[in-house]
Amino acid sequence: MPPPLLHLSAIGKSFGPNRVLDGVSLDLRAGEVHVLAGENGAGKSTLIKILAGIHADYDGRVELAGRAVRFATPLAANRAGIAVIHQELSLVDTMSVADNLFLGREPARIGGWWLDRPAQRRRALELCRQLDLELSAEDLARPVGDFPLSAKNRIEIAKALSQEARILAMDEPTSALNGPEVKRLFALMETLKRQGCGILYITHRMEEIYRVADRITVLRDGRWVGTARAADCPEPRLIQWMIGRELADYIPPRSGPARGGEQRPRLAVRGFGVPSPDPARPAAVRGFSVEVRPGEIVGLAGLQGAGCSELFQGLFGAYGRVCTGEVWIDGEPFVPSDPRHSIRRGLAYLTADRKGSGLVAGMSVAANISLASLPRVSPAGVLRAGVERERAGRQATALDVRLASLDQAVGTLSGGNQQKVVLAKWLETEPRVLLLEEPTRGVDVGAKHEIYALMRRWAADGMALLLISTEMPELLRLSDRILVLHRGGITGSFGRGEATPEKILAAAMGAAAGRPEAGPPPPAADALRVWPLACPAFP
Amino acid sequence: MKKRTGLLLLAGAVALTARAAAPKHGAQWVIGMSQCNLGEPWRVQMNADIRRAAEAHPEIRVIFKDAQNDTLAQRAQIEEFVNADVDLLIVSPKEAAPLTPPVAEAFQKGIPVVVLDRRVLGEEFTEFIGADNRRIGRAAGAWAMRRLAELPAVKAGGKARIVELKGLMTSTPGQDRDAGFREALKGQPVEIVFEADMKWLEPQARKEMESALAVAPQIDLVYAHNDPGAHGAYLAAKAAGREAGIIFIGIDGLPQEGQVYVRQGLLEASFEYPTGGREAVENALKVLRGESVAKEVTLRSRVFTRANVAAGGEWLP
Amino acid sequence: MSTARRWFEHSGTRALLALGFVLALGLVFNAGGAFFHWSTHRDMLRQVSVDGILACGMTLVIVTGGIDLAVGSILGLCAVLFALVSLHGGYAAPVAIGAVLLAGAGAGLLSGGLVARFRIQPFIATLAMMVFARGAAKWLSGGEKISQAVQAPDGSFAYVKLPAIFRAIDARVWGGNIAVVTLIFLACAAVTWLVLARLRYGRYLYATGGNEEAARLSGVPVLRAKLLAYGLSGAFSAVAGICQAAQEQQGDPEAGAGYELTAIAIVVLGGNSLMGGRGGMGLTLLGAMTIGYLEKILSINAVGDSSRLMLTGLIVVAAVLLQRRRAG
Repeated sequence: MPPPLLHLSAIGKSFGPNRVLDGVSLDLRAGEVHVLAGENGAGKSTLIKILAGIHADYDGRVELAGRAVRFATPLAANRAGIAVIHQELSLVDTMSVADNLFLGREPARIGGWWLDRPAQRRRALELCRQLDLELSAEDLARPVGDFPLSAKNRIEIAKALSQEARILAMDEPTSALNGPEVKRLFALMETLKRQGCGILYITHRMEEIYRVADRITVLRDGRWVGTARAADCPEPRLIQWMIGRELADYIPPRSGPARGGEQRPRLAVRGFGVPSPDPARPAAVRGFSVEVRPGEIVGLAGLQGAGCSELFQGLFGAYGRVCTGEVWIDGEPFVPSDPRHSIRRGLAYLTADRKGSGLVAGMSVAANISLASLPRVSPAGVLRAGVERERAGRQATALDVRLASLDQAVGTLSGGNQQKVVLAKWLETEPRVLLLEEPTRGVDVGAKHEIYALMRRWAADGMALLLISTEMPELLRLSDRILVLHRGGITGSFGRGEATPEKILAAAMGAAAGRPEAGPPPPAADALRVWPLACPAFP
Repeated sequence: MKKRTGLLLLAGAVALTARAAAPKHGAQWVIGMSQCNLGEPWRVQMNADIRRAAEAHPEIRVIFKDAQNDTLAQRAQIEEFVNADVDLLIVSPKEAAPLTPPVAEAFQKGIPVVVLDRRVLGEEFTEFIGADNRRIGRAAGAWAMRRLAELPAVKAGGKARIVELKGLMTSTPGQDRDAGFREALKGQPVEIVFEADMKWLEPQARKEMESALAVAPQIDLVYAHNDPGAHGAYLAAKAAGREAGIIFIGIDGLPQEGQVYVRQGLLEASFEYPTGGREAVENALKVLRGESVAKEVTLRSRVFTRANVAAGGEWLP
Repeated sequence: MSTARRWFEHSGTRALLALGFVLALGLVFNAGGAFFHWSTHRDMLRQVSVDGILACGMTLVIVTGGIDLAVGSILGLCAVLFALVSLHGGYAAPVAIGAVLLAGAGAGLLSGGLVARFRIQPFIATLAMMVFARGAAKWLSGGEKISQAVQAPDGSFAYVKLPAIFRAIDARVWGGNIAVVTLIFLACAAVTWLVLARLRYGRYLYATGGNEEAARLSGVPVLRAKLLAYGLSGAFSAVAGICQAAQEQQGDPEAGAGYELTAIAIVVLGGNSLMGGRGGMGLTLLGAMTIGYLEKILSINAVGDSSRLMLTGLIVVAAVLLQRRRAG
């Protein structure tokens, strides 16, 4: 048997006193997809970075096809045939696709001074053909910024492969892709496997693991836990490996119905509309109505551009005073005008983009937790550091945020703990209505579970929750009711028990609750924002 | 909202421009005055002198332009004046070489050009009026030596200690004011104990003087290349409580600067660096009336001291 | 990571290292012992005060992720205004100071409004204010220094007495050991520290600079926070203008030209991030000391202008690299 493409043995790495990797070994064979699984902070990304030549000082051995190597720079790793696709894409938006594909290795003449544009175009087209990328010569000349994220993702892969890589490492490549886009990526991976590449794949999505994996290696707290063929590693065992304990029920179903159906609604919305920023286009949301009672969790589902996110932003006043319709909170009329006002009235809004609009990464954990409720810790405008720390500490404990100190910058925490900090920030405002958009995005399995439990507890405490999620199991298990939006309007409403993935999808595509199609089918590009079609079975 | 605010601002700007550009009528001749930089009080004074001299003659009208210390802007302004067919040009150029061609071009087109303060190259202009920095520096040096000779220490055979605060040694006026001063000091019982560039700026002069006071225990005289520099040095010495034993002299002698400082007794002497504004207007009139003028006029300067400032100073030899 | 290593990586320590480097230069090149006299340090503290006051406002603005290029021009405008009101107008000191502070804060609020309300890039908005304020200073003064000599319409001069406030600001206290302007600088630094470290609005400034969208959605009054930063920066520029006028005993419309760059250099040399969201007044104070000592050491050694410019460039880079090396 020939040596594997890649052999890692006893890899270790420390950042200061923190041992983030310790004695990790693994093989990558030609023609296999090897999934690297583990909770956030398990050391997966660090391992990939060692492979990519980003971290040069590590313990242990890296062998390529039996030959020991040690990469000092990303360029060296690249030259040796290793291509890495990171969570953040490394494309230059303003440059053309072809220019991006060959950035740093432009075909050139006259000693490298004169760009050979025709040769670059030729080679780019050739590359696209090999990889089944449907990009025309004109497409190649357009700036990368013109393309949707999914296309960028494949361009990034094409760029990696144009360097004749045999080993491809992908760190959560699907985190921002929709269903069909994911399918196309997987098809590309199949092509690469046939060509003899080995793929190291990191993902947090259980469904994906079983769709792509040939073998799975699990890391926990920087240590190797186990490696198994995907077929020999059923989901419960995988989860047990990842979190180190058995989760009897991955998403426990909601215990009991929402209480007090006859109670006054916490949040009542009637005929709510959100205009589109472009006046020429139809409104982002129109005629939306809902009543959410204390203790109720209402789920919202919709395809990309259906208006779910816009609905939250409109309700929260993030667009200003532009929305139409009527809103009541606990029976009091409420006009969304400005987030500041909304917070005062008991609204809280967890955005999907944690980095972009949730956290202030450079500020401390304590400062982030108190950010939305500063008046409470600064009577007469003067900050009381003691009060702030005490309140932040209490929230951090209640949400079980794992941190070294309240003063540590929030950017240094893992994804799940960052999300808990954002949640803590909103809880500090003592909200009555929680708007949650993708509360478990980029969060590891253990933290996900904890966040679900927290949501239930808040509901039990009498809050009203509205939930947008692209993870179908999450939506189905947590929601008391699910509303489906299509092009800004409600096309379906399902109670607990009657909702199935199939019904929701039909409504999301414009077929109102089992009725024949109400409008023209959405264009192909308007594809699923949501879930892979194959959902695990639900009780 | 934003668009309306923008329009409002634009309208305001247009109104301001219109007011600033409104012409006066009734003059027989139009003179274009191109000033290289109105950021210096001395040049503000030059314009003021021209304006005052011109006010006495209703038959001429002067249009002022300020090049804001930009050679190319000044070149463009001279060309604008030529295109506007002014009857005569007064140019105080920023520097010689790059401004020679536009001045020569105007001269060739038959527009008389009076060049003020700094020269252009060649002969293609009507008249040059300027002062001689080296001569003024020499006069300051000679005056300083006479004054220092009165000090008991010098009478007893000791050396006088001098601080020189230079303008900018990369500029011609700075170099000339330094060279002239040193010529006069040659062979005399003096020692320059501290010298520094203060870039013609008063706050900078004050900083440098503080350093001089820190390193030199005895200072008899401070020679600054301009009056603000001398004033800054005085303030530094005063803050240190050492102003009484030091003689301060400066150059420029502007009415609202150097002359004031002399009157107040802060400076003992200020040496005029004349702007030539009045002379420029008088000679321009001669040219316009068809009289002949000298190709080159070197302006005489005055020294203002406590004794003579009230009487209007005293002409230097 | 060892404790010592972490200590080194603290940005305050790194700024201290740069200051130490410059001070070491002073020990070596002490100009015949002049560096060892308190008066040299006292004078340095006086000289750096005006720049330091501007740097206080600059710190507030830079924390919000902005930049204020108008501080030098507002200084000039306020120096002229103070001289006009106090010296020529003969108004009492509190009136003059109040009017000038209002004018400075107003100019700052104006550029803040352009940044916050009309979303003009800070660089452009304050560049416009920088040009406009310089023009206003020249227009108010007629292009001439507003000094004790007042020109009558006929060209003759009358002289006014220097108001006591001018002498008071330019005086020294505590046995002549510290300049009043230095105390004013320290007071401005204390106000800035208070705002940034102790007030709710300070937190708003950090949040705005750190992540404006997250701050807005968390109910932070981003617009008001920016107005506060630029308004305070304008007010500090006015304070600096008053100090400048008092020290020159006149209002010079050209005063403060180029000071904005020194103020930015002070903030950055202290280790504050130009990206916003981080830093503080302590770092700016260290930056001010570093710049002040650098200028002072070059000055007492009577280094010529051309060499001084080159040395300043080299030493600033060396100081910043020294900070960087430890950050490894």
